[in-house]
Amino acid sequence: MVVSGAVDSTAMADAIRLQNVSKTFGATKAVTDLDLAIPQGALYGFIGPNGAGKTTTIRMIMSILFPDTGSLEVLGHSSALAAKHRIGYLPEERGVYRKMRVGPFLTFMARLKGVPEADIAPRITRGLARVGLADADRKRCEDLSKGTQQKIQFLAAIIHRPDLLILDEPFSGLDPVSARSLREMVLEEHARGATIIFSTHVMSHAEELCDHVVMINKGQKVLDDPVASIRQRYDPRIIEFEPLDPDADLSPLDAVPEVEQVIREGRGCRVVLHEGASAPAVIPRLAISVPPARIEIARPTLEDVFVKTVAAV
Amino acid sequence: MKNILLVAQREFIATVSTKAFIIGLLFMPAMIGTAAIVFPRLLNPRSFKTRGAIVVIDRSERAMRDVKAAFLPERVAERREATARLVLNQAPAAIQQVAGRGSAQMATAALGAAPDVQVIERPATADLQSQKAWLLAPDTTPHLAVIVIQKNAVVSSDRSFGSYDSYVPSNADDRALNEIHLGLQEAIVNARTRERGIDRADVEAIVNVPRMPSITVTRDTERATVRGINQLLPMAFVILMFMGVMTGGQSLLQTTVEEKSSRVMEVLLSALSPLELLTGKMLGQFGVSMIVLGLYIALGGAVLVSFALFGLINPWLLPYLVIFFVLSYLTYGALMVSVGAVVNDMREAQGLMMPLMLLLTFPFWVWFPMSMNPNSAFSVAVSFVPPINSFAMLIRLTSTAPPPWWQVWISIVVGIGGVMAALWFASKVFKIGLLMYGKPPNFATLVRWARQA
Repeated sequence: MVVSGAVDSTAMADAIRLQNVSKTFGATKAVTDLDLAIPQGALYGFIGPNGAGKTTTIRMIMSILFPDTGSLEVLGHSSALAAKHRIGYLPEERGVYRKMRVGPFLTFMARLKGVPEADIAPRITRGLARVGLADADRKRCEDLSKGTQQKIQFLAAIIHRPDLLILDEPFSGLDPVSARSLREMVLEEHARGATIIFSTHVMSHAEELCDHVVMINKGQKVLDDPVASIRQRYDPRIIEFEPLDPDADLSPLDAVPEVEQVIREGRGCRVVLHEGASAPAVIPRLAISVPPARIEIARPTLEDVFVKTVAAV
Repeated sequence: MKNILLVAQREFIATVSTKAFIIGLLFMPAMIGTAAIVFPRLLNPRSFKTRGAIVVIDRSERAMRDVKAAFLPERVAERREATARLVLNQAPAAIQQVAGRGSAQMATAALGAAPDVQVIERPATADLQSQKAWLLAPDTTPHLAVIVIQKNAVVSSDRSFGSYDSYVPSNADDRALNEIHLGLQEAIVNARTRERGIDRADVEAIVNVPRMPSITVTRDTERATVRGINQLLPMAFVILMFMGVMTGGQSLLQTTVEEKSSRVMEVLLSALSPLELLTGKMLGQFGVSMIVLGLYIALGGAVLVSFALFGLINPWLLPYLVIFFVLSYLTYGALMVSVGAVVNDMREAQGLMMPLMLLLTFPFWVWFPMSMNPNSAFSVAVSFVPPINSFAMLIRLTSTAPPPWWQVWISIVVGIGGVMAALWFASKVFKIGLLMYGKPPNFATLVRWARQA
């Protein structure tokens, strides 16, 4: 197991710092000795399967739950309660006041978040227009679709232009178009300078958005690295190969000394190399053995990395 | 503090702007109005008329003439007017005044149509069984009763007079039987006095000592005493407080359950601490309860003023009503919001609400004995047991024998202790329960949460 990115006690510019944080519910250890440091301005993905401890960690960061042991710092404060007006939060268990109209709901949330009274109406108007709901101001929340409600909830989370934005499973239940729209808005917030941490159990979402990933499994951190570094570290030993002639005999590929295994898949195959073999060096030899239509190194997905990492635990 | 006020404001507006609240608010006055005006008309007692025939067998052979006279229409009318006058004499002065304008005829009219009873005379030796057959025989004129005046009903050597036996069909109406009794009573007494050579009018004048309305004297004024007020006033105050507490408490429960089930709770907790949320909600619903309480007090006051009965209320009772209402609201409200925080829907809330509802309705069970004996050991004891002490003390304060001031203030101090305990419990359970979904906890689990949090 490789765990890097441990908390550096000298770092001063971290938006979130967790040290040896543990949380237990009855006999269940939800989070165990978690260290985490998220620098300001970063876009962190917090990934792991269902029940891994992501939501518990986020709730502790938000001071909705409190750790049994360990210390925690959010935006320079020992508790998020002291910095709530600088934090935007979209919880996994999210909702709206069903009977309230969209405008008053956002106004209420903006006031709770300390937005100056004069700024509230313009921000709501702009925000609704941004998500394509310019005419939704007078609609009751219960009359909106789930996806539209989620956009409203996201607006409520960013209406006070937070320094830190925490999104717990933000894409769950969204159709592809809404998910893309939300992804764009997350990136806009990041571009504005907000530190963003979002949890997901869908690895591809983190892969698309994040520059850094924290993996958690059974309450323990199993990975904490930049996405690029993860890809480098999990150097692929697989080459995707598609022959020029669909009916070509692929057995010559097995004859290449660095090749450990050839796995047939559809019209092509996946070539697994021996440990330590260099993929760039093997590619020309494969191409000579069987003329290829396509030959490329298979990039490891976060899912691959996760499965591999968890399997190693 | 700003966040607390924001939550309170939202809670207040969200509650009072609903149709359910407005309808609920107007429901009680509408119900009282219906009970006072519409309901009697719907029941329409005036439409009832005693009409039919009675068979009279006079075994004494001395009362038949008087029986016939007692059921003559003009005599029936006189008797009814006398009854109406008697009822009026016992009514409050304001009602007497209103009725006085139209004389007792108004009240007589209210008793319904005058009875029309035809008396069928049978010989003293008539066979009772054949008369019973008559009673059940169909006829256009209803057969109301067979009356057998006993042999010693009019004359008795030892003053142990007999009376009369009556035989009635299964569908006999109580009001008709009452009219028949009044007529027979008059007839038999007339017969007895005549047989003894006594003037009945003289006897009635001698034995009649009318109960005059007493005058209640206060430091500032004098007014006619209203009987029964020592029972009605405590009940009225208990109902007022119950309405206020229930309105606020029920709304707290519902809005908390709604916030939890709509998953808006965690969104709120990202901007507020659980204690701020709890305080804001309780404050908002307190405003709602005060509107209900204020409206009903104003309505009650208006009714009392219009009947010149406002002097019945000791002005000092109102501050005590407010104090004990606040104590009750905070105690029950805190407990109800705790219930709302730990359940997923209103159906689940019912089980946990049962003990609270039993406590809330407890004053209604003990209202009568307590208002009759406000200083009994039981009354004093429950005045110091929160959360029922507020209701108990209010019953005693509004009774005819209010408790000493030190008992009132000990009860208030005990009530404050109860409020603190309830708020402490609520703050702990609220914090844990808000984000708990799934099977609702039982009472033992709630106590454990309160200890752990």
